[in-house]
Amino acid sequence: MKLLKKDLKEALRLISDDFELLLPGEGSGVSRFALWDGGDIDLSYGNTQLPPKDILFPHTEKMYSFKCATDVEVTEEAEAKSRIVFGIRPCDMRAIECMDKVFLEKGFTDSFYSRKREHTLFIAMGCTNPCRTCFCDSMGLTPGDAPAADILLVESDDSFEVKAQTQRGKEIAECFGRLLTDGKVQVSKVSCALKTKMSDDLPEKLSGMFEHPIWDEVGRACIGCATCTYVCPTCYCFDISLDNHGSEGVSFRCWDSCMFSDYTRMAGGHNPRPTKKERVRNRYMHKLSYFNERYGSALCVGCGRCVEKCPANLDITEFIDKVAEVRL
Amino acid sequence: MNDIETKLRETVKRLLADHTVRYVIGWEATRFEDKTRPAFISDSADTDRLVWNKYCVSSLAKYALDEQHSEGKIGICVRGCDSRAVCRLIEDKQLLRENLYLIGLPCDDKEMNICDTCTHRNPVIYDELVGEPVLERQADRFAMVGLMEAMSADERYSFWESNYSKCIRCYACRNICPACNCRACYADQERVGWQGKQMNTAQNQIYGLTRTYHVGDRCIECGECERVCPMMIPVMLQTRKMLKDINEMFGDYECGLPDGRAPVLGEYTLGDADDFM
Ligand code: SF4
Ligand code: SF4
Ligand code: SF4
Ligand code: SF4
Repeated sequence: MKLLKKDLKEALRLISDDFELLLPGEGSGVSRFALWDGGDIDLSYGNTQLPPKDILFPHTEKMYSFKCATDVEVTEEAEAKSRIVFGIRPCDMRAIECMDKVFLEKGFTDSFYSRKREHTLFIAMGCTNPCRTCFCDSMGLTPGDAPAADILLVESDDSFEVKAQTQRGKEIAECFGRLLTDGKVQVSKVSCALKTKMSDDLPEKLSGMFEHPIWDEVGRACIGCATCTYVCPTCYCFDISLDNHGSEGVSFRCWDSCMFSDYTRMAGGHNPRPTKKERVRNRYMHKLSYFNERYGSALCVGCGRCVEKCPANLDITEFIDKVAEVRL
Repeated sequence: MNDIETKLRETVKRLLADHTVRYVIGWEATRFEDKTRPAFISDSADTDRLVWNKYCVSSLAKYALDEQHSEGKIGICVRGCDSRAVCRLIEDKQLLRENLYLIGLPCDDKEMNICDTCTHRNPVIYDELVGEPVLERQADRFAMVGLMEAMSADERYSFWESNYSKCIRCYACRNICPACNCRACYADQERVGWQGKQMNTAQNQIYGLTRTYHVGDRCIECGECERVCPMMIPVMLQTRKMLKDINEMFGDYECGLPDGRAPVLGEYTLGDADDFM
C-alpha cells in the first residue's frame, strides 16, 4: 500500500484522536521526539540528538508517592496512555528491542516499562540518507528495514510504501483507509558511510581481553561525563532516589551512567572501577560483549550519537577496528 | 601538514628522546576532519600522530590531574587558554609547575564563537614556544552579558529556564572545567535534600547556578563548558556575568594569569566593595 507524502498530515490526523502522537522535532535547538502539535511534519531529521528511549524509560520517573501520618499511605504511579511513535529509525527500533530484553525478559518484568510498552506502537521510517556517523549496517542492521516496528514506511520522492508488520500495525494502517492506494515503492539499497570491522566473533574475542593493554590507552581522553550514555538509545541504567518534603515524598528513578565515578562507589567508599580506564572498559564491554553473552546481540546499534557528541571525540568504531587488529 | 605541526612533532620527539618529559599531551586526528582528540604521546615513534590545526580545540591541562602525584615531568601543548588552565590548576594547588613542561602554541585560527572574545591568544606561561607570537586582539569579553542584562527579569528567567529544561545533567561542563577541580563534587553526594538527582528544570537550574558560583571568580574564560555541552546551553555566559560584576566592583580582573592575584571571592581587604550587602 502507498501513502502520498502530501497526505501524511491527514493520515496522522485520522489516528490522533485515539493516540498521542510523538514525532521527531526540534525545540530550543535540540532534536528529539515530542508530542505532535498538528503542525507541519519535518522528515529531514536523521537521528534525533536525543534518542527516543525516554518515551519508554523517562529521564526521571515517579515510582510511588508516600504520606506518613499515623498510618503510612503509599500510592503507586500508574500511567498508560496509548501512543504512537512516528518516524523512528531502524537503529532506534532495534534499541527498543534491546530494552525489551532487559526490562521484560529473563524472568522479571519491569512494570513501569511494560505498562508503557504495551500501549506504545511504532511507525518506523527506513533510512535513505544516513548521517556521517551512522554505522548500523556494520552492526548487522539494514538501514532500510525495522523488523520490530508495527509499521514500516519506505520513503520515495513523493510517497511512502506502508508495510504493516504486526496485527496492531494492520489496524492502524486500516485507519488510513481511503488515503492508501495500491502499489509499491522502489528504493535502492542504502549503505552507511562509516564502516567498522565488527564481526561475529568479536564479542567473544573481547571477553578474553579484560586485562589487555588496549584499555590503558583507549579511554585516556575520556572526561567521564555521561554524554555518550545519555545520548545512547540503548543505555538503560538507572538509580533510585527520594524527594522528601516533611512527612511526605516521592520515590523516583532516573537515568544513571556507568561513566560517573559514583556509579560504582560503595558504602565505605570502595570503588571497584576507580578510574576512567575501568569505566570506559565497562561501557565498551557492555556494548560489544557482555550483552551478547546474556541476550545474544550487541547493545550497540550503530546510531553514531556517541561518536558525534563525545566532547573528547572517542569513537567506538575506531575501538572496534583496533580490537579487530589485535592478535591474541 | 603545516610548519607549526612539523615543528611541534620535532620538538616533542626531542623532549621524549632526551627524557625531559615522560609523555606529552597534544591532539591527534580522528576519522572526521573537523574533530581532533586529546592524544598522549610517550614514544618518540608516535610523534607523527600529533596534529596542529583549527580543530585542536579540546582543553588539555586538566588531563595532567590523571597523574597528579607521579614522578617526572608531563609535557602539555598549551594555547593561551590551556596555559591559563595550567595557571588555574597551579594556583589551586592541584599541579606543581616543576612537574610540567609547557610547549607553547600561539593560536589564531580557531573558528569557534567562543574564541572571538579571546584576550590571550599567546600562552601566558610556557617553557618553549613553537611558532611566532600572534597579535593579541581587543575583544569585548562581556558583549553577550550585556545582551542578557538588557532583558527584563522575567525574560531572563524564562531564557535560563528554557535552556536548563534541556540539560541532561551529563556534567560534561563540570568535568572539562579547569576551575572544577574539587576531589569530590557536591553534585555527586547522594543526600536527600541536597542536589537532587532528578532531571527536571528546577534541579537542573540549581545545578547550573551552583556550578556558576563555585567557579565564577576562578573562571579562565576558556569556553570549554559551552563547547562540550551536548545540549548547547550557553553555560559560560553565567560565569562571564559573574566576572563582569567582579570587574565592576573590584577593578580589572582576569583569571589564570601568572600575576599571583588570589581569586577575588577568596580574599578580603578593608577596601572591598560592600555596598551590595
Ligand atoms: S562522552 Fe566521551 S568523554 Fe564523556 S564519558 Fe563518554 S567517552 Fe568519556
Ligand atoms: S554506543 Fe554509541 S553508536 Fe552504539 S548505540 Fe550507543 S550511542 Fe549509538
Ligand atoms: S569558561 Fe567554563 S570551562 Fe572554562 S574555566 Fe570558565 S567555567 Fe570553567
Ligand atoms: S554540559 Fe550541558 S547538558 Fe551537560 S550538565 Fe552541563 S549544562 Fe547540562
